[in-house]
Amino acid sequence: MVSIQTIEAALEQVPDPELPISIVELGMVKTVSLEGKSARVHLLPTYTGCPALPVIEKDVVTKISAIEGVDECIVEWAYEPAWTPDRITPVGRDTLRAHGVTSMPCASEAKVTLTTSAITCPYCGSSQTRLDSPFGPTRCRSIHFCEACRNQFEHMKART
Amino acid sequence: MTMQTMLTDPLAAMLLAAADDLLMLGHVQSDWTGLAPILEEDIAASAMAQDDLSHALVIYEFLGGEHDLDPDTIAFDRNLEDYRCCDLVTVPDDFDWSISLCKRWLVASYSKLGFDRFATIEGDIGQRCARLRDEAAIHVAHLNNWIIRLGTGSQESNDRLQQAINKLIPEAGMLFEPPDAGLEQDESFCCGRQEIFEEWVDQNIATLSQANLQGTFTLPDREAVGGRRGIHADHFVEQFEEMTEVRRTEPSAAW
Repeated sequence: MVSIQTIEAALEQVPDPELPISIVELGMVKTVSLEGKSARVHLLPTYTGCPALPVIEKDVVTKISAIEGVDECIVEWAYEPAWTPDRITPVGRDTLRAHGVTSMPCASEAKVTLTTSAITCPYCGSSQTRLDSPFGPTRCRSIHFCEACRNQFEHMKART
Repeated sequence: MTMQTMLTDPLAAMLLAAADDLLMLGHVQSDWTGLAPILEEDIAASAMAQDDLSHALVIYEFLGGEHDLDPDTIAFDRNLEDYRCCDLVTVPDDFDWSISLCKRWLVASYSKLGFDRFATIEGDIGQRCARLRDEAAIHVAHLNNWIIRLGTGSQESNDRLQQAINKLIPEAGMLFEPPDAGLEQDESFCCGRQEIFEEWVDQNIATLSQANLQGTFTLPDREAVGGRRGIHADHFVEQFEEMTEVRRTEPSAAW
């Protein structure tokens, strides 16, 4: 008899195709349920236009269906609660920072404008940073520039 | 039959108007991918076009669920007169960035105000639109910044943006055309028209004044007939045919 814990553990092995962390660390998993041999996973899209969403859905289905005792896996996308960077786990945050991608709770985000931001540089720790563009290499990341160490870095952007 | 049910449902008509604007805008704007004036804007404009298409999809998926239709069928297979987009979105920009920027700015700020209202609906569509509202807000903030940047940049950038505004404002009022005469009775949506228009104008004027630009907005009367009622301009038809060419050639094509 397969358990919810087994499925949750398997989800931790599903990477985000565009980030160095798993979808669990990213906070995309809303709920996992099991009815007999049928598993159902509710996922939260980071941003609705993210082209990685179908890839993630397929990876989850493949991973979970391969578990012994699971006959099928259904993935459903949910919009409530809305995903925010608050959902990223502490380990996920640390891993992202080591890759030059910052994330922080939404509450601080209001201070971010085109010329000033309260985001701390992941390389030198300076807060003399500015927003270069809210649209980065993926739908969930914005691009920032550190005036102190003159490095560009990325940030998991919050909704405004 | 299900298509007909959807097309006569007042809420669906409002949602289709919102989604069709974004579907066509996203399609038209993707022409700029690789060609925008600077790299960051190329990425940003392409990302926004991608968002616009996905926002339309989120709404078509909801409508598809309600009316037993495939979202692609809603997006690509309707008759021309059943598209509810305002034809401002397909006004050709002739690869003039000022026109592209100004058009996206006018549409995004309108779209965001629509999502604000849809987001108050209980249930699935409200949750979806709350998500879209937050993403649209990022577009509006970014586009406002660029209006201000170019308006306060050089004399040339100010002049060119002013010309774009002068050209597009007369078309922009059509955003507020009610998509269906029957909606006149639907107080909850359509008749917030005056209120949404005023909010939209206040925001636009605030941005324009920071940008040293001018614009006068007028609300067309309710009898105005255009894209929202399915009477489309030639430029819409051209864009629509381009967008649906593959679909029409090979309806079962998948990628």
